[in-house]
Amino acid sequence: MEERILTFIKRELIDDDRIDLTADDDLLGSGLIGSMAVFRLIDFLEKSFSVRIPPEEMTIDHFMTVRAMSDYVRERQAVQKV
Amino acid sequence: MHYLLFHPIDRHAAASPDRTAFRCGKQAITYAELAERTNRLAHLLLAQGVQRGDRIGIYLPRSLDGAAAVHGILKAGAAYVPLDPEAPVARTRRLIDDCGIKVVFVAPALRRNFTALFAAPSPVNRVVGGDVEGVISLEWDALADYPATAPDLRILGDDLAYVMYTSGSTGEPKGIMHTHTSGLAYARLSRDLYNVQPDDVIGNHCALHYDISTFGYFTGPLAGATTVIVTDAHTKFPTSLLQLVEQERITIWYSVPLALLQMLRSPTLGERDLSALRWVLFGGEVFAPRHLRALMEHAPNARASNVYGPAEVNQCTYFHLAEAPDTDDPLPLGHVWNDTETLILDPDDGEVAEGEIGELLVRSATRMKGYWNRADLTARGFYYRERIPGNRETFYRTGDLVYRDADGLLQFMGRKDRQVKIRGHRVELEEVEAVLAAQPGVGEAAVYLREIGDNEKVIEALVVAESDWVGNPRTWIIAMGDQLPPHAVPVRIDLLPNLPRNDAGKIDRLAIREAITKSMP
Repeated sequence: MEERILTFIKRELIDDDRIDLTADDDLLGSGLIGSMAVFRLIDFLEKSFSVRIPPEEMTIDHFMTVRAMSDYVRERQAVQKV
Repeated sequence: MHYLLFHPIDRHAAASPDRTAFRCGKQAITYAELAERTNRLAHLLLAQGVQRGDRIGIYLPRSLDGAAAVHGILKAGAAYVPLDPEAPVARTRRLIDDCGIKVVFVAPALRRNFTALFAAPSPVNRVVGGDVEGVISLEWDALADYPATAPDLRILGDDLAYVMYTSGSTGEPKGIMHTHTSGLAYARLSRDLYNVQPDDVIGNHCALHYDISTFGYFTGPLAGATTVIVTDAHTKFPTSLLQLVEQERITIWYSVPLALLQMLRSPTLGERDLSALRWVLFGGEVFAPRHLRALMEHAPNARASNVYGPAEVNQCTYFHLAEAPDTDDPLPLGHVWNDTETLILDPDDGEVAEGEIGELLVRSATRMKGYWNRADLTARGFYYRERIPGNRETFYRTGDLVYRDADGLLQFMGRKDRQVKIRGHRVELEEVEAVLAAQPGVGEAAVYLREIGDNEKVIEALVVAESDWVGNPRTWIIAMGDQLPPHAVPVRIDLLPNLPRNDAGKIDRLAIREAITKSMP
């Protein structure tokens, strides 16, 4: 999941395949992801991993890094299965 | 006596050293720490050969380092030039060249842009806070080697303090020059107007390149208050932003309306305790009364203030609301604040009759010096009046059309030119048009603004392509993204065989507006 998200960010949001980006890099404090990109990212996560992300859970803690996003998406997947 | 923008910091450092000056994320800095850090920073800059009047770039995310950089640069007698980390690198390079910036503050988090930003030929020969190849790179740790006491410099209130760039109708951004005197005049007037006290906690949402930030970075310190610098991350997640307002017990909030609108849309609004808020300030754009009403319901102790003033004069009017507005009539620009005179002029520079519409001109202690290195634009932006021989008074032409209503309030009626506001940012449509017209294959171009629902506006364009051009207009949009800030890039370009023209052969903008209004989805 981390790899897929990283690839999406590099190709679709930053438009730079060669950029050095890891799952633990701060995405929000580095100007990498602008406000508009956040919406595209959320849309990508919802469609690609079949989860619904409610607005009240769109928080910094869940989106600061690719790892945080993956952990959160897995959590949502588990909740939705129940 | 205070006559320089950093004087308040040194005074509070002596009188109440342990009070917090700025907080950002999990970090905080007291007045004493800030005074010392900025002293050391000034010495560091002077050791690099920085001289009075030099322009120094700040290419940083919202951070405590940014606050230290602002005041450290000023203490070295230099002027800061905020550079938007989200702007395309090519545009930022143009600003650096235009302003002749030799030293730039950088953050490692932005390192991916360094190569493109500082590659030769560039006037930049030093960076502070990061490692850039081929440029002398200084670390923040180096500050320990410099004296903690203030450098002995003769800096005057009339000296340049900062240059903020804004969209220019010629196709090139223009730099608004403010001095210590004009910046401090704004800080004094705004402190007094909102009665900012040492126990106030100011929520600063705007990045440094936006003039609204001067409230948090200068008015806050003048009052001895604490300014909370909202992190970049918080600006992207309204639910987290609301949490921050509650946790920090913010008492005075100031932002563009969009940030307030985003918080209003968060489903967690009802759960948040916003009782600490005593002022909600918004400016840069109109804020619909119905949204303000919704907001004020959730902030029981807050008064609201509609702030108006182009960056050239900081602020010049205000309209306070103690209660939520009960009608949907647009909020007035309101009252002219202290130490400021306004004129309403017709196209021939004659004063309009009482209640008539005309262009607003402003004379104030808060007025800019002029546009950086553009005497022509400065001359066009100013109007001079000489009532007493030899005493010339200078007014800034705002380009905003207004009238004074029966209650003496100024009411906004639109623009004289083609400047628009998108998400609080000023955009000259001519600049976008010039960039589009320069793309390969573009014959003629007309750029227009489309409103898409609630407070959302986008730029779109019509293009007549050159006859031998084959391709997709998307390539133009992508290329423009490298030259314009994101909010100024057209979201859509339609091809036409020709543009509607009026009898004089000029592009018929009215016809375009009618056509696009009809095609509204």
